[in-house]
Amino acid sequence: MLSTVITKTFLDRWKGEAIGAVTLVLLFLMGMAVYRDIDLAVYTDLPEVFRSLMNIPADADVGALAYGAIYTSYGALTLSALALSMGSASIAGEEKNGTMGLLLGNPKSRTHILVSKGANVILLTGLGALLMWVGGIAVPALLDVNITGIHVGALMLHMFIIAVFHGFLALAIGAWTGKGSLASGATVAVMVLSFFAVGILPLIEGVESGVKAFPWYYFSGSQPHVNGVAWGHLAVLTAGIVLFAIAAVVGVNRRDLRGQASGAGLVDRLRAHPMTEKVVNRLAGSTRVSRIWIKTASEHQGLLIIVSYVMFLIMGVALGPMYNFIDDTLATLADAFPEGLLALFGGGDLSTPEGWYQVETYGLMAPIAFMIVTVTIGSRALAGEEAKRTMGLLLANPIKRSTVVLEKTVAMVVYALVVGVSLFAGVALGSMFGGLGMSGLNIAATTLLGTLLGLVFGALSLAISAATGRVRMAIFGAIGVALVAFVANGFLPLSEGLEGLTKWTPVHYYLSSDPLINGMNWLHGGVLLALFVALVAAAVALFDRRDIRQAG
Amino acid sequence: MSTEPAIQTENLTKHYGDTKALIDLNLTVARGEVFGFLGPNGAGKTTMIRTLLDEIRPTSGRASVLGLDSHTQSVEIRNHIGYVPGDLAMYPNLTGRDTLTYFANLRGGVDWGFVDQLADRLDADLTKKVGDLSSGNRQKIGLIQAFMNKPEVLIMDEPSSGLDPLVQREFQTMMREVVADGRSVFLSSHTLSEVQRAADRVGIIRLGKLIAVEEVASLRSKAIRTVNLFFDESVDAAVFEPLPGVREVSVQNHHVTLSFDGQMETLLKVVAERYGLLDITTHEADLEEIFLTYYEEVES
Repeated sequence: MLSTVITKTFLDRWKGEAIGAVTLVLLFLMGMAVYRDIDLAVYTDLPEVFRSLMNIPADADVGALAYGAIYTSYGALTLSALALSMGSASIAGEEKNGTMGLLLGNPKSRTHILVSKGANVILLTGLGALLMWVGGIAVPALLDVNITGIHVGALMLHMFIIAVFHGFLALAIGAWTGKGSLASGATVAVMVLSFFAVGILPLIEGVESGVKAFPWYYFSGSQPHVNGVAWGHLAVLTAGIVLFAIAAVVGVNRRDLRGQASGAGLVDRLRAHPMTEKVVNRLAGSTRVSRIWIKTASEHQGLLIIVSYVMFLIMGVALGPMYNFIDDTLATLADAFPEGLLALFGGGDLSTPEGWYQVETYGLMAPIAFMIVTVTIGSRALAGEEAKRTMGLLLANPIKRSTVVLEKTVAMVVYALVVGVSLFAGVALGSMFGGLGMSGLNIAATTLLGTLLGLVFGALSLAISAATGRVRMAIFGAIGVALVAFVANGFLPLSEGLEGLTKWTPVHYYLSSDPLINGMNWLHGGVLLALFVALVAAAVALFDRRDIRQAG
Repeated sequence: MSTEPAIQTENLTKHYGDTKALIDLNLTVARGEVFGFLGPNGAGKTTMIRTLLDEIRPTSGRASVLGLDSHTQSVEIRNHIGYVPGDLAMYPNLTGRDTLTYFANLRGGVDWGFVDQLADRLDADLTKKVGDLSSGNRQKIGLIQAFMNKPEVLIMDEPSSGLDPLVQREFQTMMREVVADGRSVFLSSHTLSEVQRAADRVGIIRLGKLIAVEEVASLRSKAIRTVNLFFDESVDAAVFEPLPGVREVSVQNHHVTLSFDGQMETLLKVVAERYGLLDITTHEADLEEIFLTYYEEVES
């Protein structure tokens, strides 16, 4: 039975893992090819504090740079994200699908099932790491780059352990609560926070050692690709994994299993209470179901609140005052940076408040935040209803298919706007509290461009969802295209002659005009808006012409 | 529109790749009748229904509801139908009432007094979340949403699955009321007893082909009867086998069981001449037996 469960889950998931790993190898190939062709002096001449931030050793060469830039950031994040999606789906997912009871109808204990699910997280993460390892060795050979002194194996071991760490954290939360979205949401929050803490804390005097409180430090802090395996750090992560495994076993055995039924949330309790019944009933009941878009928007409120909160408070308000504490040496380096290099980090110049926000907030986090909400809605809008078999019932009403697509699009736009307004308010307040004197209009312009970029990728997932009826394809398709676009946009300008190609990525129309300094670029905004409209139109046409899928 | 049949298909064909789910289906469902659509699992019942709803599009041929084309006029059609999908799924986080409100909002013009009346008749709990309901209770919500707008045509795919016998009976009554109102019901099922009780006519589909359309009454009348004969002595099966209308004979000492679709008079005359007849019982075969006979014939 153990091996049966493992085999089934493995067969369900290996493709996603393999596609993720191969995509990263391709990105690595692209990165290394670009690094090979540029003058590396721009890196090696950097001051120490910067190199440490970017994971670049003093005697950096092409190999170290490529592994540092691609594998230790994108690679580890992707491998961890795959592991945590598996971990969160393990127990909670079977409960949600109503298949847990079926599994437990066999003469095996909950612990047995949990162990086989945990084994799968390890196996599949191992597969991903192995593929990336093979790619990590094959690519330099292919490009004729010397990687002597680079510890590819050590890096992959570290990456494997940090990914399993996140996978088991999600597994434990899922096993303890039976809530898959809570498990994945909380683990993503831990992962992203710790990733950024490890990047930012060392820049702030007095709190440098605070990084040790974050798991990501034990993955990348020792620079395993340069210094080899740090067994002490791995021991810390492994201890965490063991702890999560124990917690998962205890958690899944101590509680009632959830049926497909939903638990009673706060809103349900308020609805049942005579004092609040009337108001809450209107909001949670009749208002929620008054329109398709409102019902759709009500489905991911938790996610929207978390993302908006993080963007407002952490990436917005908190970063303003923090700017004043950054090491002074950073401020003196403004002129020393070649533009091409800066482009890689969102084009920001850390010596100005605008550059600070561009690197820390707008460069990567804002697009990710927008995409989390837009792709969540875009991918599930149509394919999700098909997978849950509710689309037939919905379309039995006298409404056009195009109406369904457009209503779902409205929900997506509303979500993006909520995140955008939170981000704008956060950054504006952060600038005010930090006395940074940034232009409110320019903050609004940059946020608007980010909102539009997020909507473009959301509409892409909507279009894939409309064309195929498959949720996973819509999610991975949109994220894959976004990943390639971001990396291409960062790397292509480094290589002379290829710079012009960035115009073919939507990402180019987001920050390339430096909107935080120059204000709104209406042409760029127009391009993003046109792309969004075109993709939604494509979704309408694609959804109208195909058969509705009967089941997931 | 009022004179058009409730449902009509002309050479309706649907292929999924190499799989032929429907083959040249020609079917007419009249106004004011309950039409039973019978067939084993995978016969094409659901494919046919999903085509009527424009969830899927025909490979060739066409289907119409109330004279409206299933594809080009699908939105108009859906103004006039109620639908219960097979394997019903709804939104687990919404209560029954929220669910009905949602569909009522999309549809417009629903009489809530009638909804409450339906809920009462089916003993449905509208205050609980759909995800917390048992499958039978969830099915009741599905039935209410199909009946609530008093549709011209009700299209239901295995609608009574999970319902207890009392609710099933109420549901039968509700269908009869719809028909009495001049409206129509298209009822797909593999539960023969259900169709037998509710339907006026029945279509039998197998492997994507419609193999028979009969009135339930005429099916019964030409149906095989099971005849039990009890004698005062041991009898020989060979005496019965050559008699006209006798299909199967089994003999246990003094007791003979026959499958019989001939003239009862002939049978009795022959039997009474040969042996001392003590008792006779006879009952008409149910659709189950007829159904199996049809399939056996098609297969052979």
